[in-house]
Amino acid sequence: MTHIAIADQTAHLHHPKTFIGKYIWSQDHKVIAIQYSVTAIFVGLIALLLSVLMRLQLGFPGEFNFISPDAYLQFVTMHGMIMVIYLLTALLLGGFGNYLIPLMVGTRDMVFPYLNMLSYWFYLASVIVLLSSFFVTGGPTGAGWTLYPPQSILAGTPGAGSGIVLMLLSLTIFIIAFTMGGLNYVTTIFQARTRGMTLMRMPLTIWGILTATILGLLAFPALLVSAIMMLFDALLGTSFFMPAIVSLGEPLNHEGGSPILFQHLFWFFGHPEVYIVALPAFGMVSDVLSVHARKNIFGYRMMVWAIVIIGGLSFIVWAHHMYVSGMNPYFGFFFATTTLIIAVPTAIKVYNWLLTLWRGNIHLTVPMLFAIGFIFTFTHGGLSGLFLGNVVVDLPLSDTFFVVAHFHMVMGVSPIMVLFAALYHWFPLVSGKQLHTGLGKVHFWGTFLGTYAIYLPMHYLGFLGVPRRYYALGDTSFIPESAHVLNEDITIAAIIVALFQLVFVVNVIWTLRSGPRSVRNPWGVASLEWHTPDVPPAHGNWGDALPTVHRWAYDYSVPGAKQDFIPQHVAEENVEYEAGGRRVGEGE
Amino acid sequence: MGWFGILSEKPWIPEARGTSAEWGRTAYTPAVKISLRFMLGIISVFFLLFFVTFISRSQYDDFLALAGEPWQPFTNSMRLWINSGVLVLASVAMQGAVYALRRNHHFRLLVLLATGAVLAILFIILQISVWQFLAGMGYSVAGNPANSYFYILTGLHVLHLVGGLVALGRVVNSLREEGDLQNRHAAIEACAVYWHYLLGLWFVLFFMLTRTPETYALIAAACGLG
Repeated sequence: MTHIAIADQTAHLHHPKTFIGKYIWSQDHKVIAIQYSVTAIFVGLIALLLSVLMRLQLGFPGEFNFISPDAYLQFVTMHGMIMVIYLLTALLLGGFGNYLIPLMVGTRDMVFPYLNMLSYWFYLASVIVLLSSFFVTGGPTGAGWTLYPPQSILAGTPGAGSGIVLMLLSLTIFIIAFTMGGLNYVTTIFQARTRGMTLMRMPLTIWGILTATILGLLAFPALLVSAIMMLFDALLGTSFFMPAIVSLGEPLNHEGGSPILFQHLFWFFGHPEVYIVALPAFGMVSDVLSVHARKNIFGYRMMVWAIVIIGGLSFIVWAHHMYVSGMNPYFGFFFATTTLIIAVPTAIKVYNWLLTLWRGNIHLTVPMLFAIGFIFTFTHGGLSGLFLGNVVVDLPLSDTFFVVAHFHMVMGVSPIMVLFAALYHWFPLVSGKQLHTGLGKVHFWGTFLGTYAIYLPMHYLGFLGVPRRYYALGDTSFIPESAHVLNEDITIAAIIVALFQLVFVVNVIWTLRSGPRSVRNPWGVASLEWHTPDVPPAHGNWGDALPTVHRWAYDYSVPGAKQDFIPQHVAEENVEYEAGGRRVGEGE
Repeated sequence: MGWFGILSEKPWIPEARGTSAEWGRTAYTPAVKISLRFMLGIISVFFLLFFVTFISRSQYDDFLALAGEPWQPFTNSMRLWINSGVLVLASVAMQGAVYALRRNHHFRLLVLLATGAVLAILFIILQISVWQFLAGMGYSVAGNPANSYFYILTGLHVLHLVGGLVALGRVVNSLREEGDLQNRHAAIEACAVYWHYLLGLWFVLFFMLTRTPETYALIAAACGLG
């Protein structure tokens, strides 16, 4: 039986008439994307504030009475969880995934718009449940974002009562939301591509989002399993993860559970999660670099293969987070090997980005600055990962600030650099207005240099052996006075970086209120999303007829062509060449 | 073209002049089918992870299997066999609905879909009675990890069935509206496949949860978890 791809069916499109139908209970992927993005950025700002509070305590211990040891641990935990799950995952996949997939593959909407709408509302519910834990007795959980039992549910840990339960519930709701959204993304990419859009003609952004979504769909169940089992341990007294234990002098009813089992489950999710965040960022940065260097992406096929291989490998490296858990040393050898192997496809990507820039016509626009900044931060974060991937090097560095510096560079700062590159790059498409370039550059330099001022010294603190998750260092013999001074400096840098983010917020508000209208396709992009009849794209995206794709998304500076880019939907016979110019390799 | 072929394409080579663009091969598969494949994959991973933890936990000293000795509840598993029979009939009814759909027997289709749904609800009720039976014998959720796993895994299986019933309700509801016939066919077939999947999953659960300690030791050794 043959089926018409849903991309071509206009009948199923839900045409809302009222304000609420259009902007609140919307089934339009673009509105849902904006809802996701605004919510994610809102919680992200809360997490940013929490990090400033943490830094105040670390830089100036004892100066701020309202930051108690419990509160400090709660800030650490909520900052980590919000940033990784509720900001990065939600913004990259729920925000950019929703906005870009239908436009880049040339369809009118996601294949299941109603499910897509539900996905956002479940996400919002998960955020509300999470934030509500700030207002319950005992406050949010302070167990660290890894939520390791038994301490996460034992009395004495902040938020061990309601806080941890709300966290686990919120994660459960988030996973349901992600699954609904994720099913939409993969099905839309596989089923609803427009005519001519073969898989290998898709922009790398879509490859990144597709692979990350598949990773998420297979990895989030591990978090769900551990959340369900821990909820049972916390609420019903089962002993999945809880061993026989004496708490505050009283023996508890638990017996025989395995806390290490939780760690395995958590990291079976947790490591792919790194790539759930990284792969969409890899894809988007590839597109931004290619567009603003006016050059086709170097090694497109290798980039696709690298994305897929990294995705596959990410499922067999999880225990490198557990070298100090007391597991069998042969395990450590295996996981160190797989971890180092994953550096190969990752390095291929970095080389290809550099070779894309090589002899390109580089335009130092704000998105390009952030994209180049990403190459720096990601390479630095990746190199420190090579240290930590080795068991013998990891053991002394485990649970020190070296680890904090490493993962902030590689999966904090780097994806954030790409997110800003993407926000500046696609803002004219989403809003019809272009963000102010001067403010954008101020924002970039403040963020780029500022984050280095935060995290480079942190590596040094780690070498000294300064432990993470400590409320205060006190008079510790092996920590010199200079480390305390460094902590003060890092805190000042963190506050400055946080303030620079307000420049971005001001830029967005000012541009939306009184910024000039952007020209159509201001960056000269070849991929489909910039070639809708209306900008910003109207409901249904493509007017009467869907575009037909004739080429890949990277025809920039084609030799002999009059224009410096050829859009994906332009057929070869419609391309204007200079007199006598003819494309190399043309199939005639 | 296989995946290797797809990933070996060279998209930078321009299309020959005058040729028309082709549909991607997958564009002919209905969306419901593709998403169902992914969903079954996700559910399989979900339960597989539970099984790994279960087998691993079964090797601890405090784990008391639910079968093996005469006084244990599932040494005689007749109750579970009755429940299995009901779920088999539900699956058969759903498959019958697919045949009725292909032969355009609208009334028979509705009757068989309703039968599939009612039998699934009956299975859920019977599962609840098994939980009551277990609780009545003093096998509480927190009493032993074997009990905990039994309640959790069968409960999650029931939840998946409830989700299937909601989806089936939406599909049946959409039969009254005008719309794309092919997609509707695909949706009904997807419901039937989902029912078969949950039947298969139930048999795996049945097998896993009612073994003797010796069998668990064997499985654990085979999986390298012993």
